[in-house]
Amino acid sequence: MDRHDEETERYLRQFRPRAIRPLALAPKAGKMLLRSLAFAAAVTLFAAATVWFAHRETMRRTETARLQSAIANNTGVQRYVTTVELTRLALNDNEKLDEILAEESRQALPAVQGKQSTLRVLAKD
Amino acid sequence: MPTKRLTLDEVRSLYEKHGAALVGYACSCGLDRASAEDVMQQLFLKMLGEKTFAPRAPAAYLFRAIRNASLNMRRDRHRETDLQPPESWFSHVNGNHDEVATLQRALEELPEEQRETVFLKVWSGMTLQEIADVTETPLNTVASRIVTPCKSCASTWANTSRNEDKRWTAMTRKPNVI
Repeated sequence: MDRHDEETERYLRQFRPRAIRPLALAPKAGKMLLRSLAFAAAVTLFAAATVWFAHRETMRRTETARLQSAIANNTGVQRYVTTVELTRLALNDNEKLDEILAEESRQALPAVQGKQSTLRVLAKD
Repeated sequence: MPTKRLTLDEVRSLYEKHGAALVGYACSCGLDRASAEDVMQQLFLKMLGEKTFAPRAPAAYLFRAIRNASLNMRRDRHRETDLQPPESWFSHVNGNHDEVATLQRALEELPEEQRETVFLKVWSGMTLQEIADVTETPLNTVASRIVTPCKSCASTWANTSRNEDKRWTAMTRKPNVI
């Protein structure tokens, strides 16, 4: 580079590109904070919902077991709720199966022998 | 080839070192000042968001990215009319606004390829090879685009704006390759 090139460059270097505004990181940081808070809130909510659901399921199972136990105590027979158990009983012990089905039907179907039962009302008509 | 992510401090350092020149370069690529700043801010914010980013030559990468973004934005806006008065790209060490206006006018009247090459040569701090990479131009072509004033005009560059025409003549004459 000769002297004139140097002079030219020296002249041009008197000029600087204009200053710029600072890098706008603040809004991004704010967004990140908001995102973090939202994520934390979502995680907390999910954890709370899971605990509540698990607790409710436990309570329901306990209640069901308690009711089944009470029914078994009242009827004198254990209730067979699963199809597998009923099938096994049908194969091995028909009398007990009949007894259980009769008890179940008494609980599942409306009584027809009461004074105000539907059948009596219909019979009067 | 990217190998690791740049830290916030590294990105900030690049911003402070090259930011002003990048905006000036975007202006020289045809963007108005506000758009040029927006493009540059977006580039750096994108860099911060990248999972893996560490170019071997950060300056060359930045100028190339700004060039691409500027050309894309200019293409997208080619139907728009700019109603804003042109803003200056430079500041003068002595605050001489006339000199700035003269220089900018001279640069604006240069052919685009020559303008960006001169800008990169003087204000980016890159080598000719890096400029060739940024502009995707052969090295010899880059060298040929860098114009130096003729001997008789060299001194007028350093004089006052009375010699504006001579300066302009110096910049637009057929190039003397460095």
